Amino acid sequence: MKRCIFLSLVVMLFCVIGCNDAEKGETAKTLEASETRQYEVFGMDCPGCHGGLEKLVKKIPSVQEAKANWVKKQLIVTLHPEANDEDIYDAIKLANFTVGKRIK
Amino acid sequence: MKKFLLIILVCASLNALILENANAAGISVDAGLTPPQDRWIIRNQFRYMHRKDDPTMMDRKMDTYAFPLVIAYGLRPNLTLMARQRVKHRKMSMAGSISRDTGLDDLFLLAKYKLYRKNTRDYTFGVATTLGMEFPTGDDDFGSETWDLKPGIFTSWRSGPWAADFSTAYQWNGFADKGKDGLNPGNELMVDLAFAHQFSIGGRADMSLSPVLEFNYKHLLSDRLSGQNVSNTGESLFFVSPGLKFTKSSFIMEVLLQFPVWQQQQGSQLRQGTRLIVGTRFMF
Repeated sequence: MKRCIFLSLVVMLFCVIGCNDAEKGETAKTLEASETRQYEVFGMDCPGCHGGLEKLVKKIPSVQEAKANWVKKQLIVTLHPEANDEDIYDAIKLANFTVGKRIK
Repeated sequence: MKKFLLIILVCASLNALILENANAAGISVDAGLTPPQDRWIIRNQFRYMHRKDDPTMMDRKMDTYAFPLVIAYGLRPNLTLMARQRVKHRKMSMAGSISRDTGLDDLFLLAKYKLYRKNTRDYTFGVATTLGMEFPTGDDDFGSETWDLKPGIFTSWRSGPWAADFSTAYQWNGFADKGKDGLNPGNELMVDLAFAHQFSIGGRADMSLSPVLEFNYKHLLSDRLSGQNVSNTGESLFFVSPGLKFTKSSFIMEVLLQFPVWQQQQGSQLRQGTRLIVGTRFMF
């Protein structure tokens, strides 16, 4: 009985470590597979309005980070390389702003 | 998130504390630009209004403290929903005796629809229309006791650090019914013009300070009873209002002083004194 409990605990421990490793691997993979893009955005006019844009862009599954700057009229997004620009453009429209050009 | 909003709504209801009309806008910047979809805005204000210079011998004075709470939500990029609940506290003095009252004002619901918006490298211009409804939910002596309809139009223009906003709204009081004892409260016309210049603080993009200058006009028609104007009701007010707006990311704090540079009251009403507005806005 004691042996069964011990074995079960070991199996569970491996599972936990395995899962953690898998997650780490996935995170590393995600981090490896990311790129930064920069877009020109018109319509942001104060420090308070970029938060709404960042919130919408961060909802896109392939986006890891989004930072808008109303002074530079720019949006910097860290996302999966295969992510579609159209998703970013849609989010910018939902925020009531207008896309200029993709800078980077 | 839902819990947080519920707590705020419950607090506003519990705070429910007056018939000084707290309209005549103030801090009307940004009105023509609808917020992004899924954006929450919680706006809280403290408004102090003072009535004085009694033309009669009764030496009447009135101080009103209003606490409006506004919750707005960007349902669609072109549609914003808004709810406002005001709590008022009123202190009246007459011939040496003082009376105090606290109560809930009417609930006000509003929808704002984006008609036009143009964002360019050099400027942003937006036009929005609103339709609001004030429900007769307020306490006695604080609410209007009528269903009031309030259509309006708002325009906003931005270029670099400069901002200009113009808005006009008409409040059709008692559009569907009459008030207490068949009284038909007078309709209101409000016209507001605001200018602001934004200074970035310490070169930071997430913090700014904006001096604001507003011009607020309000014309309130006389109440009517059996087709006749009721005496001592109806007035016109024109305010010149300097103020300051501080913005830090998703937080705004604003202060505005409204100086009544011109006013005209019907009959023996009290004259309007200087008003103070202090407000905060949280956006998330």
